[in-house]
Formats: sequence, C-alpha cells, structure tokens
Amino acid sequence: MSVTTLPMRGAGPDAVPQGPPVGLPRLLPPGGHVPEGLRDHLARHGALPYRGGCLRLIPDIEAAGLTGRGGASFPVHRKLAAVAGAGRRPFVVANGAESESASSKDVSLLWLAPHLVLDGIQLAAEAVGAAEACLYLHAGPDNHVAGALQRALAQRWNARIDRVAVHLAFAPPRFLAGQETALVNVLNGGLALPTYTPPRIFERGVGGAPTLVQNVETLAHIALIARYGAAWFRGVGTREEPGSMLCTVRHADGGPHIVEAAIGTPLSGLLHDDLRGDGTAQRTQAVLVGGYHGTWIPAARAAQLTLDNAALRNAGAALGAGIIAALPADRCGLAETARVASYLVLESAGQCGPCLNGLPRIAAALAELAGPRPGSRALANIERWAGLVSGRGACRHPDGATRFIGSALTVFAAEIGRHRRGVCSATTRAPFLPLPPGTATSDEDWS
Amino acid sequence: MNGITASTAPWYASRAIGVVALVLLTGVMVLGVLINRQGRLPGLPQFAVTGLHRNISLLAVTFIAIHVVTAIMDTYVSIPVTSAVVPFTSGYERFWLGLGAVALDLMAALIVTSLVRRHLSRKLWRGVHWLAYVSWPVAFLHGVGASRDLQRGPLLGLAACCAFLVAAAVIWRLAAAAREVPRARRVSALMSGHAGRAGSGRPAASGRTAVGAGPSAGSRKPTAVS
Repeated sequence: MSVTTLPMRGAGPDAVPQGPPVGLPRLLPPGGHVPEGLRDHLARHGALPYRGGCLRLIPDIEAAGLTGRGGASFPVHRKLAAVAGAGRRPFVVANGAESESASSKDVSLLWLAPHLVLDGIQLAAEAVGAAEACLYLHAGPDNHVAGALQRALAQRWNARIDRVAVHLAFAPPRFLAGQETALVNVLNGGLALPTYTPPRIFERGVGGAPTLVQNVETLAHIALIARYGAAWFRGVGTREEPGSMLCTVRHADGGPHIVEAAIGTPLSGLLHDDLRGDGTAQRTQAVLVGGYHGTWIPAARAAQLTLDNAALRNAGAALGAGIIAALPADRCGLAETARVASYLVLESAGQCGPCLNGLPRIAAALAELAGPRPGSRALANIERWAGLVSGRGACRHPDGATRFIGSALTVFAAEIGRHRRGVCSATTRAPFLPLPPGTATSDEDWS
Repeated sequence: MNGITASTAPWYASRAIGVVALVLLTGVMVLGVLINRQGRLPGLPQFAVTGLHRNISLLAVTFIAIHVVTAIMDTYVSIPVTSAVVPFTSGYERFWLGLGAVALDLMAALIVTSLVRRHLSRKLWRGVHWLAYVSWPVAFLHGVGASRDLQRGPLLGLAACCAFLVAAAVIWRLAAAAREVPRARRVSALMSGHAGRAGSGRPAASGRTAVGAGPSAGSRKPTAVS
C-alpha cells in the first residue's frame, strides 16, 4: 500500500506508456524538472474527458474519496455538490496562492504540470455548471509561472479544449491571501482580508455568485480521476484517505524538495536521511508537520508515524498542505518557533481581538522563552492566552498560530528548562524555517 | 408664493427632495471618510459601517435621480435634459445648476466604478473614489446657491450642520492618519513592552540577546543534543 517514489526520478517522456500512470508520480511529469507542454500532456493523458453535463462527475469524485489538498482535507464531492446546488450560476476559483514560504508544492505543480490543473478547472466548472473561472496565484517572483500559464490558457482556448474562459488573478504577498474569504474579497476588488462567515462562499462569493474554491493540486487530482476512475485513484493511499499528495519536504540539511507521496507513507520514508527507521534521532530533533499553522512532533515520535491524518491525529497534528520540515539538531526549536510566531503576528489582518491583542502577547512571551533565563510567568501566560484566543475571530489564524506555538512548548519543554538555567543547546543561530521579507505597512500592501 | 398644484408639484418636489438628498449625501460622505480598516464607529462593527455607506449611497442616488427628473419635468422654469449632465448649459441659474451637473457626473463615475469594481484594478477604483472629495462640496454649493431654500431659516442651520459634519470627519481622519503608527512598529512596541513586564521585574534590555537568539551568553558552553 505504501508506495514511496520520489518524483524527480524515472524514465524520459518517450519511455512512458500511455494509459493510467502506474505507481508514482501521478501528478508531476515523469523524468525531471521540465514543464509538460500541451502536446506531451495530451500524449500522456489523452483528451479532456468532459462528462457532457452538470453533476455527472461528482459520483466519481465521491467514490474516489478525494479530499481538498489546500490544508483542510475537506471532502471535494461535498463542496462540489453544495456549490452546484446553490441555485445560481457559480464561479470557480483555482487557488494556487500558497502563502506559506515553507510550501512550494502548488507553484511547482503549476510550473511542471499546468495542463493537469487547467483540465481540472474545466471539469470542476462543468460539474458545478459554472460559466466563469479564474486561477488565483502569487505574482512577483513567480511571474514566469504566470506567463507560462497565460500562454497555456491561450493555447488551450485556440485548440478549443477549454469551454469556460479562465483568467489569472493575483494575490498580494500576504500570509492570509489564500484564505478563501480573503481570496473572494480580492476577486471582488477589495483587500485580501478574511471576513466573517456566514454567508459561506459556496452560497455567496465572487460577484455574489456561489463560489467553488479548490486548491490547484485538488483540481489536478480531479483531472486524473475523471480519466482513470475512482478505483485507480484508490490504488495508492489508505482506505480512509486514498490517493497521493504533494509534499514540500525540507530536510535538515536545508533545501526543499517537492515529493509526491502516497498517503499513509511512513514519514521516515520521506525523511529517510533525517530520521532513522529505528526511531532514534540522527541529526533531526523534531519534525514540523503542516507548516506554520501545524504541529511540532519529536523526531523519535515522527519516525513511527505515517503520512495520513488518522495517524497524525494521535500526535495532535494534521497533514495540512503537506509541509514536512525536519529541524536540525543544531538549532533552537524555541527560537525558530518564536521567529515564525512574530511573523504570524505581523501577517495577521489585525481585524479581530484575538490577533490584535492576544497573538502579540503570546509571541512576546514566546520570544522571552526563546531567550536566556525567561521569567517564571511566561509559560503559564502563553497557555492561558492561547486558551483565550482559540476558536475566535473571522478566520482560523489564531487557532493555527496557537496550535503551532503550543506544540513547540510541549516538544521543546526540555529546552525551556535549559533556557531557564541560561543554556541553549543550539550551536548556530542561522534561521532554518524560511520567512518572506517585508510586512504590510499600509492597506495597499493587502491589495 | 403659490400653493402646491398639479403644475407646481414637480418644482416643490424637486426642491424638497434636493434637501433630503443633501442630508443623505452628507451621511454617505461622513461614513466614507470614517471608513478605515483600523477605525470603528462606536457600537458598529466594520462591515456595518461599510454596508451603511453603500446602502445610504444607493438611497441617495434614488433621491438625486428623482430630484433631477422632477426638475426637468417641471414647467415653472425650463431646464433642458442635456443641462442635467452637461455643465453650465442651462439658461436658468447657469452657474449653480452647472455645479449640480458637475456633481452628478462625478457621482455617476463613483457609482459606475463601484458597481463594476471587481473588473477594475483596486488602484483605479480607489483613484476614482477620491473624486467624492470634489463631488460633495460641489453638490453642497449647488444646493446652497441654486435656490434660496437653504439660505435662511432652519434649512440654513441644516446646511451648516452638514458642512460642519463633513469638515469634522475630514479633520478627524487627517488627525488619525497623522497619529497612525505602522502595524509592524505597534506590534513590536507591544511585544517589547510586554516582554519587559513579564520578565519578572528585570529590565528587558540589559544583557539580553535579541528575539530568536540562538546560543545564550550563559556561563556554560552551549552543548549540542546528541
């Protein structure tokens, strides 16, 4: 069941047989780092299998058991059915604006296999009966991706593959820009700020229309399920959580790698050099699963876990958007967490009480714990304040931030004790977890 | 002064509705000036202020439309249709009605750009929306100058109130903008202030390493976890 294959290997395109991909990777083109053009895409996967009507694809998606790959793992067929049944002509958004600097799986997918995502947009639009769609992504450093997508869209339109016109929309470089209500605000001409729900966006989103927001990887999976069927999709993964997922794996020695892994794969398989199979830490002290709204897990524990929500739930973690980062033993986990926590505070929209008042205090107390000889009240204060900010506010930013910080307090408890004695086990202060430069200074930075 | 008859009704209606429209526009203007991401009106959440601004402006549009249509319909003075939109072409009160046409055109631009806002860049929408600061004063001058209604009695008081409210809102907003501290600075101030308080009475700065510091200045040599 747990097939582990790293995607960047394998034979060239010529050697790949037609028909359903066997094993992994499924999404990323085999044979390296070269983006797959329209011709290669059609040769590998065949024509786009339109179903010729609204709703017809939804039972296949339900049978496949596909869940959203943007972080929430929500069942895709339920979202499709809700949008299709909302009563007005819907709008479809492909969300490629992964805002976390630790993740780059969406932009990699858009770069390497753009046509799979664009296929998925067409199929999702057909399934819910939408006449309009857009692809939402970060501009800036990824502009070459936007240019390639623009050309791919034009090529598909001219080849009469696409039935629904898709335009590109750009997200401001903010952590919350990919949050779905913030995304809808941007597409409606406003700032990338989350708003209170209800109304849920599947009832009232872009231009007031019911809006389907799906992560780009989810859409690529839809394009494969429509071609090869639910049984094929379930060929990898677990029974509860079938299929494969893209992960951004950050090894202890630095560089990020995009890996397409079967759900249920042992984490030690993904972090083979970082974790020993027998559960002893080699050069990794802890693993961050799920990114900056995710959870720290001690290395020994992580070595026994598998890449699925059922297993991760026992460790208080979730897959999220597939970020797996192995913290090297020579860093201070508290200092890393405090640095990211300050970033999360500055990246909050500053709209609701928990983010405006709670998170800065929590981040300040955490910074104190990360420094030498922290005060005696800092730890208790964080725990008390974390309880006060959770479950409140317009979006889940406070919940995610407190989950991340709370797991650090548990996993790095021994380190807190050392800091109290004025000692830190880290031998380097070079930052490990990546953070983007700059914070918002005016409203225009949110547009 | 004549009574209200079938032939004079539009004339009186136009004047009365014009006064109501001024009050509504003042409300729209004040709310628009006060809308600020960080700002709040007492007792109102931000979305309510935005919603009120939007809904009152649509109500004002309705009143202005009736004001203009009745003024044209009316036969007491002759105002050609074109003069409603082309400034300074009316024979009657050429200057003051011209101001009304200018205000109407500016408002049309504001409304149209807001209705198609999701197809425009935010920069363009915002640029056009700044025209409100021209449109309201022009509409106000039109109201005060075009008829004697607002020039005496209680309605003069009303007009003065409107002008005062808008001026006060603008001054408050400018003062707030001058006081504005970037969020990054505000948060870091709060964080350092808090670290000082929670630090069991010791001064935050003395001999401490910066936020996110790695090895401490402790007495023992840092030891790596093996």
